[in-house]
Amino acid sequence: MKVLVRFFAFTFLLMLSGCIEIIDDLSFNDDGSGTFKYNINLSSSKIKLNSILALDSLDGKKIPSVDELSQKIKTSVAFFKKNAGISAVSVESNFTDFTFKLQCDFASLEDLQRAIRTFIREETKSPLMPELKHDWLSYSGSQFIRSVPLITTKKISEIKFEDRELLKQGTYTSITRFDTEIEDFSNPNGKLSKSKKAMMSRANMYALIQNPNLIDNRINLVKLN
Amino acid sequence: MKISTLTISLLVTVSVFSQKSENLIPKAAASVFSINNVSLLQKISLDELIKYEFMEEVQAELFDGSTTGKTLKDSGIDFNQKLNVFYGKTENYEVAGLSFGVTNKEALFDVFDDFTPSYSDYSNVEFYESYFSRIAIEENSGVLFRVTPTNSTVDLITDSIWQAQGNEPHSYSYRSDFLFDQAEVEAVETEVFIDGVEVEDYPVAEETPSIKTYYELRDSIETGLSIQYLSTVCDEVFVDGQNLVNSSPAFAEQLTHTSEGVFFLDNSKGLKNSEFSYLKNIYPTLYSNIEALYTGNLILGDLVINDNSVEMQLNAQYGDELGSIYSKLSGAKFDKNVLKYIHKDNLAYFTYRVNLREAYEQAYDIIIPLLSEEEDLGISAQLLVVELMNEFLNKDAIFDTYKGSVFGTFNGIQKVKTNKITYHYDEETFEYTEEEVEAEADMPIFTLGFSTDRSDIPTRILELIAKLTDECHNEGAYWEIDRAVLDAAPLYILIQNDLFILTNDENLVKQNANGFGKEAISKKEAKAARKSGIVYGYADLGLAIGSLPRDIFSASENELIDVLRDKSGRITLNSTNSSQSNTSFNLIYDFDAQGDSDKYILDLINSMYILSK
Repeated sequence: MKVLVRFFAFTFLLMLSGCIEIIDDLSFNDDGSGTFKYNINLSSSKIKLNSILALDSLDGKKIPSVDELSQKIKTSVAFFKKNAGISAVSVESNFTDFTFKLQCDFASLEDLQRAIRTFIREETKSPLMPELKHDWLSYSGSQFIRSVPLITTKKISEIKFEDRELLKQGTYTSITRFDTEIEDFSNPNGKLSKSKKAMMSRANMYALIQNPNLIDNRINLVKLN
Repeated sequence: MKISTLTISLLVTVSVFSQKSENLIPKAAASVFSINNVSLLQKISLDELIKYEFMEEVQAELFDGSTTGKTLKDSGIDFNQKLNVFYGKTENYEVAGLSFGVTNKEALFDVFDDFTPSYSDYSNVEFYESYFSRIAIEENSGVLFRVTPTNSTVDLITDSIWQAQGNEPHSYSYRSDFLFDQAEVEAVETEVFIDGVEVEDYPVAEETPSIKTYYELRDSIETGLSIQYLSTVCDEVFVDGQNLVNSSPAFAEQLTHTSEGVFFLDNSKGLKNSEFSYLKNIYPTLYSNIEALYTGNLILGDLVINDNSVEMQLNAQYGDELGSIYSKLSGAKFDKNVLKYIHKDNLAYFTYRVNLREAYEQAYDIIIPLLSEEEDLGISAQLLVVELMNEFLNKDAIFDTYKGSVFGTFNGIQKVKTNKITYHYDEETFEYTEEEVEAEADMPIFTLGFSTDRSDIPTRILELIAKLTDECHNEGAYWEIDRAVLDAAPLYILIQNDLFILTNDENLVKQNANGFGKEAISKKEAKAARKSGIVYGYADLGLAIGSLPRDIFSASENELIDVLRDKSGRITLNSTNSSQSNTSFNLIYDFDAQGDSDKYILDLINSMYILSK
């Protein structure tokens, strides 16, 4: 039986596209608080993922079981909840379709970024990590600036060269919502919602690692009297 | 006339009594690959040659630029002698290397430029050494070799001395990300005693230079043992004249073959030094019996180069008792029904036929007495369980359900329907909702089946499973289990023509439940499969192997697969039926490339070397 499992696993690995879809969704309130949602959708690659999960190890690394992964996610979420200014943390893991959703409320952008930095440093056991030193979200007056965290593009760029072609089928979507209307924005590929209170920018993963600034955006909001 | 007779006599004497490269193969060698026609390799660059795994013993010396732009022809090697690659392992040491003829020592050491002359204890033998290996040259033959003590021997002696010095047993703290999360591993604290007094940590040489730490002690012992075992090997070869040729008649006979290359694998040596060797101390009687069972277990082979093919002729030899089991396996009648289910376009397929019932009865008669002689209580208890099962189970039902004859096919990659999650965005707010949509994914199509005389038994099992879960359902001619293949695609079960078939080939079960008819393999191929002994196999290498991803395999498996990667051609394997003393296999590797036979033979030698290690 193990032979069969391996037979499937190795046959899939090259032939299936490694599609990954990320939605980085931020709702920002006038008072600086907001809600952050981060969705990872791997359902296009579920056969490949199932084949990997059926293995004991891959490329010399142990493959965790679904139970171990679930437990790891629970532990990570519990750690994330401990951060000051972070509340209403929830996570949904679907190991049938391989979709994962993290959602939390934050008191300020600083709190959110600090929590993410702490979380990543804890997970990677890397206290320095220069990719986390910059702010990828900031708000001053009526201008909101957001970019893709360098750590995200760095991690994507670590994907082996031969697999990068597959990244062209993956997408990164950045959504930002506001209480007030948007006056203008800098990203030529950005799309404004009909309500004029939300922005969406999207790029394929491959393009994003070629140009990490591809969906950066400087958004000016209509000034409130 | 006298002069010519004298000349001929001298030539004969020289050829008979002069040193030959094969006489420098240590008797501990368990696997040898001997290339008779070394001139085949003349054109291959040394840079290319040393990349092969079987050249690993010389890689450290040669990957330093000394081979750049050179071929074997430039290296002072004698093409009239055989080139022999060998590997062996005893209980105490491993020995690996290659022996060859030498025509020009100066040219040889231009290539092996890391070697420097060293003192020789043996008359007429010159020694050269580098950091890793030695070269010994006797007359016009040389051997490049390395002798390494086994870790278990080094550990055993080190532990013994370490504890005799009054230390606590040493604990190894193997750590790797493979097994442990870094953060979860706590440092292993070991109490160390010096002169019976506990110290807080290992002594380090700088602080107490006269006392060795565990690892310093181990290094010293390893060095000492290396010298000792090197002497053992050299004494055997250069003083006692003991080598593999005169200690193994089978190997000596194999060397007389005129094929381009021969190989020799002594499985009985492999058994003695394998994981089973631990049985020696725990179950000495059982170990001794198993050892006797494997005596004479050899695989001998010839590599034959034809115009567009390389042929590997293998002969597996074994003793009477194992032979009696193998010969019983061969009694199975070929089930012609399987041929109907092998499509002519299948990229790879195999048929395998054995008489499991006969072999079981024979193995039972041979193995049970071996186990009975062992006095260990645990073995005796397990033996009782086996004997009771043998009495109580309905062997007719078991072996009529699964008779032992199997076939399998790989039918390439096809699209199968699956589903995926997409998002639908509200243009007003960019809020989104999930949608499950149909998608397609590539799926390897396989079929695996076996002959059965009791199709009622698997049918009853499937009927029961269908009652327990909706995912298993009868579709008339076949059974379908939803999402059984990697939680995505259905698995079909076809019970037809006295065959039990598992497949994910929708076309087979829905359109061809009675077989592929005219679309099945040709009569010629069917005849070849039918006429073969216990096994027949075919693979279109270019299509079947080319797409295997590296990630999924270990480094050693990848080395093996890489041999076949990017190669076009077909491999056909057939065998004789097993007799009481041997089974022959013939593997033919047909390829389209012209003039690359030297590389193909090296590829095959490399595969065999990796497999035999």
